[in-house]
Amino acid sequence: MTGGQPTADNRRAATPSPRGFWGEAWARFQRMPLAMAGLVFVGLMAVVALLAPAIAGTKPIVCRYKGQIYFPCLAYYGRSLEPVVFSQDKFRGEYPRNLREKDPESWAVWPLVFQDPYRAVRPDEWPGRPGNPARDQGRPGRLNLMGTNQNGVDVFAKMVHGTLVALLVGFVSMGIAATIGVTVGSLAGYFGGWVDAVISRITEVVMCIPTLVLILALLAIVEKPTIWKMMAVLGLTGWPGISRLMRAELLRLRSAEFVTAARAVGASPGRIILRHLLPNALAPVMVPITFGIAAAILTESGLSFLGFGQPPPSASWGSLLNDARSNLKMWWLVFFPGAAIFLTVLAFNLVGEGLQKATDPRLREARK
Amino acid sequence: MIHHVLRRLALGLVTLFLISFLVYGLIRSIPGTPLTVAVAQTDPSRRLNPADLERMKAAYGLDKPWYQAYFIWLSNVARGDLGRSISRKAPVTQLIGERIGPTLALSAGSMLLTWALSIPLGLYAAARSGRPDERAVSLGLYMLYSVPTFVAALALQVVFSVWAEGTAWELPLFGMTSGLPHTTSLGWLADVARHAILPLVCMTYVSLAWYTRFINTNLQEVLRQDYIRTARAKGAGPIRVLVHHAFRNTLIPLVTMLGLSLPALLGGSVIIEQIFTWPGMGRLFFESLRERDYPTIMGLTLLFSLLTLAGQLLADLLYAWVDPRVSME
Repeated sequence: MTGGQPTADNRRAATPSPRGFWGEAWARFQRMPLAMAGLVFVGLMAVVALLAPAIAGTKPIVCRYKGQIYFPCLAYYGRSLEPVVFSQDKFRGEYPRNLREKDPESWAVWPLVFQDPYRAVRPDEWPGRPGNPARDQGRPGRLNLMGTNQNGVDVFAKMVHGTLVALLVGFVSMGIAATIGVTVGSLAGYFGGWVDAVISRITEVVMCIPTLVLILALLAIVEKPTIWKMMAVLGLTGWPGISRLMRAELLRLRSAEFVTAARAVGASPGRIILRHLLPNALAPVMVPITFGIAAAILTESGLSFLGFGQPPPSASWGSLLNDARSNLKMWWLVFFPGAAIFLTVLAFNLVGEGLQKATDPRLREARK
Repeated sequence: MIHHVLRRLALGLVTLFLISFLVYGLIRSIPGTPLTVAVAQTDPSRRLNPADLERMKAAYGLDKPWYQAYFIWLSNVARGDLGRSISRKAPVTQLIGERIGPTLALSAGSMLLTWALSIPLGLYAAARSGRPDERAVSLGLYMLYSVPTFVAALALQVVFSVWAEGTAWELPLFGMTSGLPHTTSLGWLADVARHAILPLVCMTYVSLAWYTRFINTNLQEVLRQDYIRTARAKGAGPIRVLVHHAFRNTLIPLVTMLGLSLPALLGGSVIIEQIFTWPGMGRLFFESLRERDYPTIMGLTLLFSLLTLAGQLLADLLYAWVDPRVSME
């Protein structure tokens, strides 16, 4: 990026409607249909993830019980969000029958699909409906859109709720990794000297340790790996690539004239890095971050697949694949989560590549 | 040049020391020791009584704090002794020696296949750049690149081991041999080859997609150079321009890739070897991690890190060797 700014300035002189560097990049990004398709897919995933409890669940989205309005579906976001009245009245998670028996006046709005991602639906739980088939009997059908796993848990519900897990893993762990990587890398690149020597050595060490040792050892140390601990571990191991790129960018930029000028007017190192260097180095770093989101989702599902993820019941896509390992006859346990992971990774890769093409000045010149 | 190499080697030693120290500390802080984990898994009633446990701990040097034990391990390594596996009761070097063959068979096979397929594919993609057929091939490869290996492995298992059961297309689900006695070594080889097909496909497709893209991108860049225009202007045919003038100049980054792929060659793939229960290095690593077999984990970590560092150095040296414009100073 020998100056996103100079280029933008040149354009500004030539074109009547001035656009910033990111405006330019966005305009270029929009012209790439595949990258846009990836972005739209990620957006759709986010919608599904946020609305998961309203799409598939066994708790009403909203209900009126004993004269009060409740939102029991919020329990899927966190156990503590379930209204206490339902545990006091001993609902035990079975809403349809209990609502009817304990308050005939009650009404409820149900999720689109009455299935639970964490347990099998029991016979007659929904009046007149059979329970979920267990073992290898749960082929995809009308009641179980994507079949059930060997314990009778609905695959569609797991897939929908797993979307939230996948997106959270991708964004949170990459957020952690990006924060560490950008901070460490810019310190090394800006100050150079012994700071750089120490940081580069640490980066090299983290890069050389087999990723699996690092991740598995950290996961084993924290014991009981919840999805949040998994994100922390992935974040703590995923930063070296970003740090190295950031260092290289700052090494190149720090001798630029605008930095000398900033220093000459008395700006502090912190201000120079934050206000002058980071905005100029951000574009190339955004690309590996986007790819990193895909990689984090991939690693999480891979770890869950190997049986190192959150212990059951978990809604991770990888845990479905883990179920499939010992039940290869149940192809739907491979197909649906496999396709979901594939499409997600593909979407993020497409977005990352689009971002690269849209922000890399070298590629831009080459196309002319 | 020699000065540079020596400096890199010295730095590499420091890095190796840091890595092994860190990993030793990490694995020793994982709950459970090789003694407790292995026994608890086999039979809870056979759990060692505390006195025996202490005696065995002392015998394996597990009674000392980890930083002390690390330096004992380090001094043994310096004398060329990687120690004995606790859970398998065999020298670590012997365990690695047993597993290196199967891993090498897979990784070398996969690498050969990748090179043999990706160079022609990359040339083809560059030659037909922008045409519909090239777009389709490139998009297909791009999508292939996004398929996780464990998903592909499971899907292949479902198709070739479950659906194709009883047909000529049936392939073995896992293992390296079917365990039946073989009369001829040719029969044994055929058996291993049949078992290797699925893991080999899984290991190859990602690198195939990646290398093809890499070669294609490099070719695109070279094809814009002035000397290519010159070659065209003096009347060289399209194939000659592509192979003789352009491809030869893309070999430089390709050679660097060769160096960087060194660790993958011997390190094996944990996930693929685990899915197909292929008795290689990756699986050994995974198992020893689960058994908390410290000597084996350390031996393998040392080997992997050494290979990674050596690969980087090799890449740099190769780079300087093939490109006279690059100097090491």
